[in-house]
Amino acid sequence: MGKVAVLINDTEQQYEGLRSSLGMLLYNAEVQMFVINKEIDNMDEAYRDNMEFLDEMEGERYSNNTANVAKYGFKYASVEEMGEMLRQADLVIPF
Amino acid sequence: MAGKLGILVSSDKHLDYVIHLTEAAHDKGKDVEIFFTGKGVLLTQSSEFQKLVGKAKLSLCENSFRALGLEGDVPGLGFKDFATQAKNAEIIKTSDRYVVF
Amino acid sequence: MKILHILRTEPDETVKDFIKTSTNGDQAKTAELYNSDIDWSSVVEDIFSYDKVISWW
Repeated sequence: MGKVAVLINDTEQQYEGLRSSLGMLLYNAEVQMFVINKEIDNMDEAYRDNMEFLDEMEGERYSNNTANVAKYGFKYASVEEMGEMLRQADLVIPF
Repeated sequence: MAGKLGILVSSDKHLDYVIHLTEAAHDKGKDVEIFFTGKGVLLTQSSEFQKLVGKAKLSLCENSFRALGLEGDVPGLGFKDFATQAKNAEIIKTSDRYVVF
Repeated sequence: MKILHILRTEPDETVKDFIKTSTNGDQAKTAELYNSDIDWSSVVEDIFSYDKVISWW
């Protein structure tokens, strides 16, 4: 499956994008998850558990929202930097 | 021009695109496999959903289906087609091209 | 590399930026599905003839 970039723009899709990222990680894909612009809307137990699982599975997660970086440990990436990573991805999945 | 088209439907806004693309791909002899997840599973309740039956292999995320309060049969789906996110990963792996709606 | 950008809705500034940076010199085409009179047969042909397909929001 190669390298997959999961792009999440809609707060309503944040959990769905995370679950899908995990599904692909379990299928041995290399996954980079990008949360764009918005802060994680509902950091409940389910989201946190799945996010920690993504980290354990060596998935990468990036955001251009500094609150996500400060509060939840996302790596910062600007839109331009994310765009360059999208170029390198074999598959881009916008949520 | 053989090949398989995988389609992920995570939104409930574009059933018309899904149907048009599936019909066009089917007419060209493509295999089409569609996975519905998140709000995309709401599209199974539309009368138009029936148009996909016979033109694509269909499955959905059972977790999303139940979480959105849906129940009962869905046209074109058997028991094993109520699946997990692993199904989406499998579709990606077996498809030549993959699009998202 | 040839990239096909599929647009489900009119692109906002973020999507325009992504398309620009993720294309960066590659040959690219956009399929604007929100326009009327889409030739879906051509869309299928493009999907299979381009190296990479990105379905934006």
